[in-house]
Parts: sequence; structure tokens; C-alpha cells
Amino acid sequence: MKRISEFFKHALLLVGALIVIVPFYQMVSYSLKSPAEIERGIGGFMGAQELMVDERCVGSSMPDRADVEAARGDYPNLTDTDILGALVEKLRASCMVRPAVFNYTSAFKEAPLMRYLLNGMIVTGSIFLLQVIVALPAAYALSKLKFWGRETVFGLVLFCLLIPVHAIALPLYIGLAKLGLINTYAALVVPWTISVFGIFLMRQFFMTVPDELIDAARMDGMGELSIVWRVMLPTAVPALLAFAIFSVVAHWNDYFWPRMVITGDRSLFTPPLGLREFKADIDGSLYGPMMATATVIVTPLIVAFLLAQRRFIEGITLSGMK
Amino acid sequence: MAVLGTSPRDIPRRRARSQRGTAWLLIAPALTLMVLILLVPILSALVLSFTDYSLAAPEVKWVGFDNYEKIFTRSSYEKMLWATFTYVVVVVPISVGLGLGAALLINSLARGKEIYKTIYFLPVMATLLAMAIVWELMLHPTIGTVNRTLQMGCGTVIERLWPWLGDGCANGMPLWLGDKDYALWVICFLGIWQGFGFNMVLYLAGLTGVPRDLYNAAEMDGARSGWERFRLVTWPALGPTTVFVVTITCIRAFQVFDTVEALFPQGGGPSKSAYMMMYAIYEKGIKQNLIGIGSAITMLFLIFVMIITIIQRRLTERKVHYS
Repeated sequence: MKRISEFFKHALLLVGALIVIVPFYQMVSYSLKSPAEIERGIGGFMGAQELMVDERCVGSSMPDRADVEAARGDYPNLTDTDILGALVEKLRASCMVRPAVFNYTSAFKEAPLMRYLLNGMIVTGSIFLLQVIVALPAAYALSKLKFWGRETVFGLVLFCLLIPVHAIALPLYIGLAKLGLINTYAALVVPWTISVFGIFLMRQFFMTVPDELIDAARMDGMGELSIVWRVMLPTAVPALLAFAIFSVVAHWNDYFWPRMVITGDRSLFTPPLGLREFKADIDGSLYGPMMATATVIVTPLIVAFLLAQRRFIEGITLSGMK
Repeated sequence: MAVLGTSPRDIPRRRARSQRGTAWLLIAPALTLMVLILLVPILSALVLSFTDYSLAAPEVKWVGFDNYEKIFTRSSYEKMLWATFTYVVVVVPISVGLGLGAALLINSLARGKEIYKTIYFLPVMATLLAMAIVWELMLHPTIGTVNRTLQMGCGTVIERLWPWLGDGCANGMPLWLGDKDYALWVICFLGIWQGFGFNMVLYLAGLTGVPRDLYNAAEMDGARSGWERFRLVTWPALGPTTVFVVTITCIRAFQVFDTVEALFPQGGGPSKSAYMMMYAIYEKGIKQNLIGIGSAITMLFLIFVMIITIIQRRLTERKVHYS
């Protein structure tokens, strides 16, 4: 009886797992296959990896008049047209690549994917850093210092928790536009510098830190600010890690906000924007490179998650449960 | 605050005074940003929603409730409200239910917990835009995996048992994204697919907090079946988790944007069947520079979100202590 029910549970969960995982499988599979294999739905996971002609490579170094003249000596008895044909043939032969290589190299060459990834790191990194710099002292003051107005400020934090920043995107956009900041890194980062969620999370965490620790630090002559950074910060690492997960995942994957404030300047594109642009650029036959791009963009967080799974899930739980 | 045994009386008082100054100094950056980035925009959205403001326009006219009236009378906004509410009403219960179901099943497994947790959580981590594009390819009418898989059922006994498939085999498989009867449901499906793993994790965390001995007590009271134990112990114990999960799922559902924009770049899907609020704010406010109406939708959006959150606060008030 027990084994039967265990079997059914696994069967049910496996069906779910299959539906969840198929798109990932397809993404990686398409990123490895040739256009013909994608078109006809053949080739299994890897595709046959038969050599294919990279048309862009051919197009970029098409032989011209001068090449034909130069090659005349190698083909003594041919007309110009035939020489040209022979040269093109040779060029095509030298432009043969494996589909997997083709897809991934086009992903990096066709779109400045490295740039997008770098932007993604710059933006998510600076957002997290600024959020911590702003939130940590505030959380410390709200949890450990007594002052008139503390309850009011904390009430304000609780109220601000109600506001999803995406919802007030329009007035923020206008503000940034008035300041002339549209199409800058600042536009991508500034609206996220304040994380009331971060303040809240850190405060809840600091409440559990014993007062004796802080008093001891004061006895040692530490100022409040150095207490924040040298005493509270080290104790807060688990909570900070949880918050980092939230912040980085949200901003690496965010598409809405960059779409609003980066209008056209490709050198500022974050990974999702780059992917979106790539999708609009290509005609339908270049699914392979597009899926390679998608794979490259999705991979960093997935790998981080797979490596530090337990931490991740703990982190989500810790910061998710108010 | 710990009292320091031998220190004179006035030290704590002097310290309290200096603490007050430092405290405000420590809070000042956060407070300033909170006001500038969160509160001022809400107020300005409120004001702008009564105007016909647009960037670079020479003058601004006060239009009263015109923008709001449009939202509730024009058919495209009616479609927006309809699509948004359908999405919320479909996605929230299903992704909460699947999250809970998956958590319960996984929690009761003897082995293999980790692997399912990992798999179900993958979509939460993955860039939704990238996954939307993958799904778009999979739902492609001719070369997509979905229709190819369905076609394998044609000519078999499944076709006769499942009339919908039989119809597809005879008259062609659905266009999915191009068909107004399917577009919204595809968006809903993607929302559920992407988000339920997050709920699963929260529920798994909630389950670890259910006291073991309650189950024994319930069993002693005659609750023998799994269902009885769930109804009497697990479900009530998961109450606060459920309230929280439902709330954040609701708020996230209201904010759906990526999939709509990625799959329907022309806007809102076939005959605006998937015209979501967030997309409408973007389209009106940014693309068409109609900031007045965009702000009115923003206000409406905020009101919805606040209502949900306040309900949540009320429901969990007794359980949570902030100080």
C-alpha cells in the first residue's frame, strides 16, 4: 500500500517535472542544432553536428574583381566567371562550421552579448551595493537606537512595503526624463537604491542581535557608524545573503524597467533587453543563435542556484516569510 | 537596553541625546530616498491622472475625472480590466494550489525530495523573457514542439477519445498565440509555469513549522485518513503561509508584463485579448506619451494592490508582531 502510494506520488511529480523542464531542454537543444534540424524537428538533443556553411562568413568576404585578378594565375584556363565561382566555392568550404559553434559564436558576434552581460553585472551589482549602504544603517537605527519619531519612520517603511516600484514606473520615468537621465546607467539603478523590503528584513534580523554586543562595542569607543559596518554587518551575513538573492535575481531578470528607460542605446542594454532586441532583429530561421543567447543569459543564475541550492531556498524562505 | 552597573546616572541620558542625532543621521538617506522615489511619485501620479499631461507638451490641461471615465467606458480598457482580472483569477488559485500540492507531495516522499525541489524551482530563477521566447518557439504552429506532439495523437485512438484533438487533426492545430481564444490562456499558463515553484518553497518552509505532535493528537482523536489530517492539522497550521503566498502571488499577477510584451510585440495580443494593465501603462505612458491616462491606470493598479495587501495585513495581524 505504502509503496503504491509512493509510486503514484512520483508519477505525478514526474509529469510536473517534465512540463517544467521541457522548455529548458528545448532551449539548450535548439541552441546546438542547425536551422534545418530545428525546422524539421529532427536530430535528437544534440543534432547531427554536421558541418554547415556560415552564410555570414561567406557574405563578409565575398571575392571581388581584385581577388579574381589575383587568382588568375592559379586558374590559367578559366574565364573570369568560372574563377569567381571557384573562389566562392573555396570560400564556402572555408566557412564550414559545426551548428553548435555557429549558434554560440553568432550569439556573441551578432549582438554584443558580452556587453549585455557586463551591463547586467554592473547594474545588479551597483543596485545591491547601494541598497545595502542605504538600508543597513536605517535598519540598525530602527532596531537598536531609541529616538523620537522611530515608530513613525517604521510605520512609513511598512506603508512603503505596499508600493510595488513597477507600479509607479510612470512618474519615476517622468522624473528621470526631466533630469535628463533616460538612457543612462543611473536610470537603471537609481529607482532601486531604496529597498524598503531590505530595511524591513534587516531590521527584523537586527532585533535578534543581543544589545550586549552593541554595548560592548560602545565601551570600546566605537561610533555608531562603525558599529553598523564593523559589528552589525558581519552578524547580518545570512540575512544579507538572502536579500542578495532576492535583489540579484529580480534585477538580473527584470525586463520591464530597462525597457522603459533604455530606449535605443544598445551599449546600455541589460541581458533581457539584448535578447529582446536580438529577437526583433533576426528573421525566423535563426532560432539557433537566439536560443544560444537565451541559454547564455539564463545560465549564470541557474548555475549559481544549482551550486548553492540549499542556501538559495533557505534565503528565499528567510526573506520571504515576514 | 543593558544597564551598565557602575556608570553614573547621566551617562545613559547623554547617550540617549547623542543617539537621537546619530539615529536620524543613519536614517536620513533611506528616508530621503523613500520620499523621493516612492511617495512623491505616487502623489504626482495622482495629480497627473487628472490632467492630459505629456512630456514636451507646451501646456497641461486639468481634465478632472475624464481619464478615469475613459478607463471604465472605452472598450479597449474594458478589455484590459477583463484580461487582467482573468489572469489574476486564473493564475493565483492554480499557482497557489500547485505550489501547495507540490510541497505536500514532496514533503511526504521517502526519497527524491531534492531533485523535485530543484526542478520546480528552475523557472523561478530563469529570466522570464528568455523562457517566454522559448515557449513562443515551442508553440510555433508548424515547427513547434507542442503541435508536433499533439499531431502524433492524430490517427490513433486518442483522437476519438478526445474530441478537441480530433478537431485539431481535421482542421489544423491551434495557432496558440495568434488566436484570441487561446492567447490569454497561454499567458496564464506561462505565469503558472513560471511562478508556482516559488510558492512551493514557501509552503515547504511553512510545513517544517507544523508541530509533529499535532498529528499524533489528531490521530488519537480519530483522524485516520490523510485527508482528515490535512484538514484538521496541516491546513490550519499553514494559514499564515497561505495568506502570504496568496498576497504576493496576487501582486505579482497584477504586474504581468514580460510575457505579454515578448509574445505580442504589437500590443495586447489578438484583438487585445491579453491586454494587461502593466502593458497598458507602458503603452499609453511611454510609447504613446499619454501620461494622463497612463497615470490613471497606475492609480487604479495601486489601489488594487493596496486593497490586497491591507486584507493580508488584517488577516495576519494576530499572527505577526513587528516589534
